[in-house]
Amino acid sequence: MIERIQILCFAASYGVALALEISRLWFRSGVRGAVMWVFAGAGFVAHTLYLWHRTQLTDGPLSSPFDWYLLAAWLLALVYLSLAFWRPRSAIGLFLLPLVLALIGVAALLADRTPLEVNRATRAWGALHGAFLLLGTVAVFVGFAAGIMYLLHAYRLKHKLPQRRGLQLPSLEWLERVNSRAISLAIVMLLLGVLSGAVLNTVRPELPWTDPIVVSSLLTVAWLITVALFVAVYKPARRGRKVAYLTVASFLFLVFSLGVALLLNTKHASLPERRGPVAPAARLARGQRADSTDRRGAA
Amino acid sequence: MKVRMIGCSHHTASVELRERLAFNPMQAKAALRRFRETFPRAEAVLLSTCNRVEVYTAFDEPDDEPSHEQVAAFLAGCHGLALYDVFDDLFERTGDDAVRHLFSVAASLDSMVLGEPHILAQVKQAYQLATQENSTGPLTHAIFQAAVKVARRVTNETSLHQKRVSIPSVAVADFAAQVFERFDDKQVLVIGAGEMADETLRYLREAGARQLIIVNRSYERARDLAQQWEGRVAPWEALLGELVRADLVVSTTGAAQPVVTLANYRQIEAQRYQRPSLGLDLAIPRDFEPAIGECLQVFLYSLDDLQAACRRNRQERDAEMPQALAIVEEETARFMAELHHRSTGPVIQQLKQGWQAPKAEELRRLFNKLPQLDERARAEVEQSFDRLLNKLLHPPLETLRDEARHGIPHALLDAFKRLFQLMD
Repeated sequence: MIERIQILCFAASYGVALALEISRLWFRSGVRGAVMWVFAGAGFVAHTLYLWHRTQLTDGPLSSPFDWYLLAAWLLALVYLSLAFWRPRSAIGLFLLPLVLALIGVAALLADRTPLEVNRATRAWGALHGAFLLLGTVAVFVGFAAGIMYLLHAYRLKHKLPQRRGLQLPSLEWLERVNSRAISLAIVMLLLGVLSGAVLNTVRPELPWTDPIVVSSLLTVAWLITVALFVAVYKPARRGRKVAYLTVASFLFLVFSLGVALLLNTKHASLPERRGPVAPAARLARGQRADSTDRRGAA
Repeated sequence: MKVRMIGCSHHTASVELRERLAFNPMQAKAALRRFRETFPRAEAVLLSTCNRVEVYTAFDEPDDEPSHEQVAAFLAGCHGLALYDVFDDLFERTGDDAVRHLFSVAASLDSMVLGEPHILAQVKQAYQLATQENSTGPLTHAIFQAAVKVARRVTNETSLHQKRVSIPSVAVADFAAQVFERFDDKQVLVIGAGEMADETLRYLREAGARQLIIVNRSYERARDLAQQWEGRVAPWEALLGELVRADLVVSTTGAAQPVVTLANYRQIEAQRYQRPSLGLDLAIPRDFEPAIGECLQVFLYSLDDLQAACRRNRQERDAEMPQALAIVEEETARFMAELHHRSTGPVIQQLKQGWQAPKAEELRRLFNKLPQLDERARAEVEQSFDRLLNKLLHPPLETLRDEARHGIPHALLDAFKRLFQLMD
C-alpha cells in the first residue's frame, strides 16, 4: 500500500487544506477547522509514509535534493499542524501551506536530479550538512511566513483598518517572537550547514570552489553574518518590522541560493543527462519502483 | 408539567422599578425559602440582575400552580411593595415561551447589550442558589441545564460573544490583544483616574495585566485607584519617564490640551529602542497629539477609532442574531418534545410492566407442558415472547411519541389508560 502513495496524494491533501483556509475569507463554518485539520493530517500521514518508504529504497532521508525538499516540506507541514491545533482561529495556514506546496513542487522538479555519490568518509559530514541546511531552511521559511504576517498585521493596525473576516492573525508580539527565534535558529543552522559543506568538500573535493552553489551559499552566509552583527549591535533590529524585514530578506537570499541549485548546472546535484537513465527519485515520483542497485546518496 | 416565568426586564420596566425589585444573594435566599413555604409543591429559581428580576416556576400538577397575582404579590411583598405598584410592569411567559425566554436570556440575546458575557454566569448563580435552597426539582434542573447548554451552543456556533461593544472592553480585547500576546509582563501606564480609567483597568486586570502604573494630576485619586487595582502610583512629573518604560498607555484625563505632545515623545523615543507601544487615548479632547501615531512602532488609537470598532462589532452582532435565534428555537422545540415525552413515561412504563405478568404466566404454562425443553430452547422461547411483546407495543408507543412532539397528548393518554386499564 505504501508503494502506491505518490506525491500527488499528500500534495492534494495539503491543497484541500489550503483551499479551506482560503475559504475563511468568504464564509464562516463551524466544522471547517476540524475538516481542515483532518485533510492536512491525512496529507501529513501520507507524506510521512512516503518518506519512510523512501528511506527503505535510498541511503536515507537526505540522500538527494528530492528527499531533502520533501523532508523540508514535511517539517513545515508539522509546524503548520501544530499551529493550526494551538491557534485554530488564526489564518496561519494561508501563509505556511503555500510554502509547503512550493517545497513539494520543487522536490517534484528535482526528482530527476542525480545526487553526488558518497563514501564512508563523507557520509557523516554529508548527513550533517544536509540536516543543518534543512533545519536552517525550515527556520527561514517559518520566519518568512511570520514576517509577512507581521508586516500585514502591523500595516493594518497602524492604518487602523478593520480586520477582514477570516484573516485573523496572531498578536504582533507573538509574530515578532517567532520571527526573532526563527532568524536566530536559521543563522546558526545555515552557518553550520555551509561550514559542514566546506569540510565535506575539503575531505573529498567534489565541487570546485567556484561552483555556482558554493558562491551563492557564501553570499547567503555573508548576508547572515551581516544580519547577526546588525542584530547584535543595533538593538532596534531585534524588534518589530525590522526583524520582519530581515527574515523576509533572508528568505529571498535563501531562495536565490536554492534557485541557483535548481536552475544552473551545478555538480552539487547535476541536471539529468538527455538520454541517460532516470534517477530513482524520478521513477518513484512517477509511481514506479526504484531499483535498489541505483542507490546513491549525498546531500 | 408546567413551566412559567413571571418578572420584569429592561424591556418592560423602568430602572427605578428594577432597582426596587432587585434581590441581592441574601435577599434571594430568603425569598426562595419564603416561596417554598408558601408554595411547597412548586419548584422555583429567582434570577435577579441589574436588567431583570424573573421568577421561574415549575409544577407537576396544575393544581399546585400559584396564580399570576399570587406570584406578583409575592415579588412585591419581598420588598414591602403593594401589588398595584408592580403589577402592570410584570410580564408572564408559560410553557415553551418560558423555556424560549430563559434560553434567550442565558444566551444573552435578551440583554441590553447583546451578547454581553456576564448573564450566563448570573443564570448559573441563580440556579445554584435555588439548588442550595432546595427550591429546584426535576423540571427546573432540566430547563436550567438545557439553558446553559444552549448558551454554550450560541457561543460556539456564532460570533455573537466574540465582539465586544463597550469602549474599554474593545480597547483591551480588540486593540491591545492584537499587539500583545500576554499582559502579565507588560507595563501598563494609565493616565487619569476617572471612571473610564477604572473601567479599563477592570478589563486589563481580567486580561492578566499586573504591572499597573497610575499617573494623575491629583495624586490622591491616583493613589485610590492604584490601591483598588493593586497598582503603583507615580507623580505627574514622572509621566515622560513612565512613558519610556510603558508598553501600553491608556489615557483618560479631562485635560483641555494634549498631555503628551509630539515634542515630548521625541524626547523619549530613542530610549524606547523602537519597542512597540500601544496608546489608547480615551480622552476628549485627545491627550496624545495625533502626530505621535506616525512615530515608529507606535500604535495610537483615539476614542473615535474605538467607537468605530464598537459600531462595527455591534453590526456584526446584529448580523449573528438570526442564527442565534434559530439555535434557541431548535433547542426549545427539542426541550419541549423531551418534556412532553417525559410526561408519557409513567403510562409507557405501566403498559410495559402490565404485559410482563401475562407473559410470565404463559411461559410458565408452556414450559410445564414441554418439560423436555433444555435451557437453550427455553431462552429462545423467552426471547421470542419478548420480541412479540415489543412488536405489539411498538405501534402504540410510537404514536404516543409522535403525539408528544406537539404537546402533552392528554386525550391519547386517557385512551391508553382506558383501553389497557392502567391505574393512575
